[in-house]
Amino acid sequence: MKSITLKEKHRHKLPMGILSMALLPDGVGLVAGCMDGVYLTSIDKSREPKLLYSHGNYVSSVVSLGGDTIVSAGYDGTARWFDLAEQKLTDSVKLHDFWSWDMTASPDGKHLASVTGQYLAGGYKYEPQEESEPSIRVVDVASKQIVHSLPHVPSVQSVAISPDNQFVAAGNLMGEVRIYRIADGELVSQWTTSDFTSWGIIKSHCYLGGIFAMQFSRDGKHLLLAGMGPMRDPMAGNGKQLWQKWDWQAAEPKMIDQTHEGDAGEGLMETLAVHPSGEMFAMGGRLRGGDWNVALFDMQTGDRMAILKLGFRATEATFTPDGKHLVIVGTQGQPSKPKPKGDGFPDFGRVEVFAIESEAT
Amino acid sequence: MKHTHKTCGSPEHLLHRRLFLQGTMAASAASVASFNGLFSVPALADETKRRGKKCILLWLCGAPSQFETWDPKPGTPFSGPFGAIPTNLPGVQISSLMPKCAGIMDKLAVIRSMSTEPGEHFQGIDVLTRGDKPRQPFVRPILGSVVAEQLGHLDSPVPQFILLDPCPEGNEFKGFKAGNWAGWLGAQYGPVRAGGEYSIPNLNKLDTISDIDHQDREALRSFFSKKYENDRRSQAAGSLNAAFDRVKGLMSCAPLFDLNSLPEADRQRYGAGAFAQHALQARHLIENGSTFVMVANGMPWDNHVFQHEMHQMLVPELDNVLYQLVTDLEDRGMLEDTLVIAMGEFGRSPWLNAARGRDHYPKAWSLAMAGGGIRGGVVHGATDPLGHEVAEDAVDNRQLFATIFAALGIDPHEEYDLPDLPTFSRVEDGVAPIEQLLV
Repeated sequence: MKSITLKEKHRHKLPMGILSMALLPDGVGLVAGCMDGVYLTSIDKSREPKLLYSHGNYVSSVVSLGGDTIVSAGYDGTARWFDLAEQKLTDSVKLHDFWSWDMTASPDGKHLASVTGQYLAGGYKYEPQEESEPSIRVVDVASKQIVHSLPHVPSVQSVAISPDNQFVAAGNLMGEVRIYRIADGELVSQWTTSDFTSWGIIKSHCYLGGIFAMQFSRDGKHLLLAGMGPMRDPMAGNGKQLWQKWDWQAAEPKMIDQTHEGDAGEGLMETLAVHPSGEMFAMGGRLRGGDWNVALFDMQTGDRMAILKLGFRATEATFTPDGKHLVIVGTQGQPSKPKPKGDGFPDFGRVEVFAIESEAT
Repeated sequence: MKHTHKTCGSPEHLLHRRLFLQGTMAASAASVASFNGLFSVPALADETKRRGKKCILLWLCGAPSQFETWDPKPGTPFSGPFGAIPTNLPGVQISSLMPKCAGIMDKLAVIRSMSTEPGEHFQGIDVLTRGDKPRQPFVRPILGSVVAEQLGHLDSPVPQFILLDPCPEGNEFKGFKAGNWAGWLGAQYGPVRAGGEYSIPNLNKLDTISDIDHQDREALRSFFSKKYENDRRSQAAGSLNAAFDRVKGLMSCAPLFDLNSLPEADRQRYGAGAFAQHALQARHLIENGSTFVMVANGMPWDNHVFQHEMHQMLVPELDNVLYQLVTDLEDRGMLEDTLVIAMGEFGRSPWLNAARGRDHYPKAWSLAMAGGGIRGGVVHGATDPLGHEVAEDAVDNRQLFATIFAALGIDPHEEYDLPDLPTFSRVEDGVAPIEQLLV
């Protein structure tokens, strides 16, 4: 096993909280989906942050399609195409009536998948109401047409596309995972884990939690899920920092590993990233109790390899294409007051870059 | 006006109020009449459904966000992800999560300038349900107890103060529920609790015991209990007798507590969740003779984390419930006499914390009322552009309670003399009601 050290290389701030990001093909440029729009910056601070455009609401996801094209999705329910060379919006597609909680692009850049849904009371014990619109939209990038509208149980908060571009997975607040084949929209796998969701027995009667991030392993055989373990008090956010690894192709999908005992503190985990080598993955989120809020894990053994205790909520992590750096974006708590001279609020979006240094032990 | 009471808020009252809360007092009691039979006697029906002011309190425990309800700040960094929409009051916007209330704003009174002191739940609940901070050694009665005592009929078989709350737990609210609600007014003005697991069990008379046997047993129990109470001058026995009387009433009106007996169309209209169903039940109870119904659902609004996930569900439910209640009461000619209040114990912080929740904020928050002597179409007070401070017409708990009492026709300034205790007022220091809000 390798011993990993994460060494800080760069850190800087953006004006507003960052909910998502994508690295540009040059491996240095970074687009950030923020509460007030999409920013262009860089991981090494070589570019002054610039607000490119807004969605009229929070930007929940942004992806690079290669070249100069990026696409973002937001709480306005739209996906927006932006040309970095031309510095202009080129298209906007209405995907959902409610928010896009998460959007991703297939590795070949041919499809986008976005998930939505509003959790509304459907029963006396706050069983979720049926969806009022399809929870999953799959978009053909070339034509910008919605090619599949797929059902789930709202709210659906995370989505991933398999490395072979064939399958889209989506996870919801209730801990239900559905995997569809993109070619024909057929449901190929479905299961529910109660491990990410709490039924409120203390402060409220409702469901809380859910699967907040998901990623396929590089070989496509496994699906990683992230979120937070059940809480007795759902408002406290004090569930276990939790990932699970599922064999989704088994006749009966089977959980084959999860956060190891003693490796986790408390906090909601919102992002997963798989290293280009496929040998490890990062999980990050908000620290509630414990000694880390971003950690690296060995994909094979599930052992924890390195930890970071950042002073902010990590909303998205990714590895640089060469696998040498881990890039993390997130947000501190919103400043309570504007700057004294009336020049807006103190910056509270965060970008941090860590070099991955390893040696065999 | 002076008001003298014999009760003192002793631990005995606490004990018996707990029995009420737990519904256990119903376990061994006997039935005297069916609800339908009771109301087949017109005179009794009239008496029980005495025309007078009534109140439904939608208790939003945990403290809802004013930004996601009545005081959105669109276009500011603090606006959050939910937008704002216009209402039928020109120039007034509320959260986009409340489209139904936006259509009846002319019937609602919204206070956007609540400013209170307690920033922790227990103390906030205490002040916003009793109207003032504790003043030892007496326990100030909760709003529902005062309304039941002032406007209700103690002899009514229908409980005059009902708490509908299905949550057995609830952190600070659980602790508060275990306390003394009726204060010095005494056990007879405490709430009867129902909802969820609090279904008031064992209300049906056993088939093996005849009506005559029941009446004989109850007469015997009543005789000995009264004798004991008189001989020993026991307030505990007196309270217990009051409890038995309440049980008899409860048994007679048990169908009122059966959610399944409510029309399916109404149940659909109000929505599926426990809070919505109990709001409908509250309307039904008020229609049938209760005076004060408090609808709670644990403490769901305390969204330090998962603010988006919770408010996407809670606010639309509140929006629909308030809309249905107000329009129902109006359609039935009851809105004029029935005050509906929707509030929690404080508000939420303008800024989102690192977990993108909002924290406690008593300094500047909102609530809504309708009917029952309150003027509709009024937005009282305002906060500054970011919602940090009250900018106009700050309202504290005393002004709020003076207004509520005045709207219900209860003297806000009545004084009470309790044995060996200083005189106090229903609302202290002669604080005046907010005239703008009164019809």
